[in-house]
Amino acid sequence: MSPHKPKRWKRSGWIALATMTIAGCGATHSRPLIISTTVSLRVADFPQLHTQALVDGQGYALYMFAPDQRRAVTCTNTCPLTWPPLTIPTGQRPATGPGVEGNLIGTDALTDGERVVTYNGWPLYTYTADVQPGTASGQAIDLNGGLWYLLAPDGNPITAPGGLASTSPRTA
Amino acid sequence: MTSEDPTRSVLTRRRVLAGAATAVAIGAGAGIGGTELSTHLSGGAGATSAGESLAPPDVDLMQEHGVLKRVLLIYQTSLSGLQAGSGPLESRFVSAIHNGALIIHDFIEAFHEALEEGYVFPALRDAGQLVSTVDTLLLQHARGRERTQVILANATQTAMADPVIRNQVSDAVDSFVRMYQPHEAREDTVVFPAFRALLGARRLEELAATFGHLQQEQLGSNAFADAVNQVAAIEQSLGIYELTQFTPPAVVP
Repeated sequence: MSPHKPKRWKRSGWIALATMTIAGCGATHSRPLIISTTVSLRVADFPQLHTQALVDGQGYALYMFAPDQRRAVTCTNTCPLTWPPLTIPTGQRPATGPGVEGNLIGTDALTDGERVVTYNGWPLYTYTADVQPGTASGQAIDLNGGLWYLLAPDGNPITAPGGLASTSPRTA
Repeated sequence: MTSEDPTRSVLTRRRVLAGAATAVAIGAGAGIGGTELSTHLSGGAGATSAGESLAPPDVDLMQEHGVLKRVLLIYQTSLSGLQAGSGPLESRFVSAIHNGALIIHDFIEAFHEALEEGYVFPALRDAGQLVSTVDTLLLQHARGRERTQVILANATQTAMADPVIRNQVSDAVDSFVRMYQPHEAREDTVVFPAFRALLGARRLEELAATFGHLQQEQLGSNAFADAVNQVAAIEQSLGIYELTQFTPPAVVP
């Protein structure tokens, strides 16, 4: 619908940007799509949360969106502008680093031949406001209609409070 | 009511407007009927009715900043009210903070900032302009959202009876205001003009349509009017709606 294509940061390794429409969701607007030469998953430490969690090849935190319910991408409209899904061309599989369980990796169809990478059934997203690798500013945030959590290497959401709440057990 | 106040009720939308019922209640309690917005604004901030002239995207974003500015004033007023009181918490201040945070959460953080994150900031970055500023603004979005979570979770009469929680909410509100005043001012005066300068007339029109479409899909075509009406109702509850009260007396020579 929009000839103007939203774009995402050109992080190291990303070589192309395009737009797409989420399959079956009825959305008609453009949303960001990241195409990389090599999509990869690895595990990184998040000391502030006392945990390890999945990150992409550049070290940016990967999140799951609770309303997806391990079924399909439900982050639509402006949501993917803030939470771009980790996408991969059809037929490719992400490279994996130590600690990543390969049998938990999958993909779900979007459109235009693109797919979103899933882990234990959860579609994976990055958070635009994570401006540095190794940060997890989106942890346990309730935004765009649901909660966002990091994913542990075993595929389960890490529900520890993030942000201000991580230093304040009295807040939700 | 002032002469610019309309009579049309538009407090009907979704979760931004989940606070709508509360806002209406506040407004009714303040004797205003709950709305302020005139129809001349219905074409602004992304409205997409057929035949309407759409505001350019930067103007659209600045109008939305007006909502943010008004919530910041609500926050400041409420915080001052809470800090001035020595007795039981005044519920109107607690409610104003909570309802203001709902508007921030649904309209500013989930919609307005998403447009910045998806369109404005990437365009500047790709052009190699204001890169460091954009990084700072993004980090401030994250910090602001963290504070809004704290406010929404704790800005209740019951929770804030605890002095520790009360301080947490006060700190979150205070730091939110302090951060967003320069944040939005920098965007209005530097970031949005730079963004606009990158776009040709045709792309501006296309983007205006995109913004309007996204707003309609996500929040409904009256979302901006709804947000303004909610803000007005909260202002009424705090006694800060009437603009004349902010006019200082003449300087006596």
